[in-house]
Amino acid sequence: MSEPRYEGLVTRAIAFGVDAAAINAVAIAVAGIVALGLSILSVPDSVDTVLLAVGGVLWVLWSVGYFVVFWSTTGQTPGARLMRIMVCRGADGRLLSPRAALLRVVYLTLAAIPLLAGFLTILVDDRRRGVHDMLARTVVVEAVEVIVPEAVPPGPSATPVDARPVPASIDAPRSRSASASGST
Amino acid sequence: MERRRLLGPVMWPARLVGEAGLAALDVALASRVLEQAVDRTLTSSLARHAIDRAFQGPIVDAIAKDVVRYHVVERVIDELLAEGVADRIVERVLAEGIADRAVDRVLAGLTTREELWVLVEEVASSPAVTEAVTQQTAGFADQVAGGVRARSHNADAWLERKARRALRRPAR
Repeated sequence: MSEPRYEGLVTRAIAFGVDAAAINAVAIAVAGIVALGLSILSVPDSVDTVLLAVGGVLWVLWSVGYFVVFWSTTGQTPGARLMRIMVCRGADGRLLSPRAALLRVVYLTLAAIPLLAGFLTILVDDRRRGVHDMLARTVVVEAVEVIVPEAVPPGPSATPVDARPVPASIDAPRSRSASASGST
Repeated sequence: MERRRLLGPVMWPARLVGEAGLAALDVALASRVLEQAVDRTLTSSLARHAIDRAFQGPIVDAIAKDVVRYHVVERVIDELLAEGVADRIVERVLAEGIADRAVDRVLAGLTTREELWVLVEEVASSPAVTEAVTQQTAGFADQVAGGVRARSHNADAWLERKARRALRRPAR
């Protein structure tokens, strides 16, 4: 099986930018609605402070949950889908477990702390991995949509199809339990 | 042959009378008196009355039927087209702005009609139109995304070449 196409820094940065825009758009909309609601209520300053803290925590949870859910269910965030890339395990090309996705979010944050230096290894690594990819043992590859016939009883009836993203080098649909290859 | 031989004595005077009649008609047609008589007849109330009666009677229906039956209108149109009369009429209508004024008046009348906007709304919300618009929008978005992907891949390759050259590492 051929080597998958690993995605580079610019493509991944654009996808991440789209995701950041989506996350913040939702957060701003929710915060705006809550702020409008609170503006007609007279709440003490201490409550304001607590609400700010709660809002901050919710924003972090929302951001982390966004990536964890998308990476562990389809391997693609909306931004990644736009750029036709996906995150998968480097060893076998399977989707990440929720735990592995959570760890990748943590490593991603750590890689960004030293002035984004953790992402520079994408430029020189043979599989275009950032530090967070190396720590989480993941790769970002091109995703192609394959039309996979669903399991149907044999017969002359029409076969329904289901389009799913898979790493570019893999012919079969990928799930956490499916076998995989190509992206090692 | 036999019949001609029997009627011979009668045919000759009849032909003579006929020719004399035609000669008299020629004289009458050339005379000013008959011309004045026709003028007076046509300007008289009698002529108007005759025309009124004719239009009220079945003759108009009969003429209309004959016009349709013998394709008179089609033949006239064919002749007009063949002679280029229709082209000249169209050119004159366009040159004098008659068509523009007519279109303006029609549009002005249409835009004030409630039925038009109901029709436009019906068409715009029809499944075929909405599906076509959706497909076109999706196709355009796909095209834009494809362009962004292609450029980002080029930028990836360029950035990577520079980085590897700076670190003296072989290209991928």
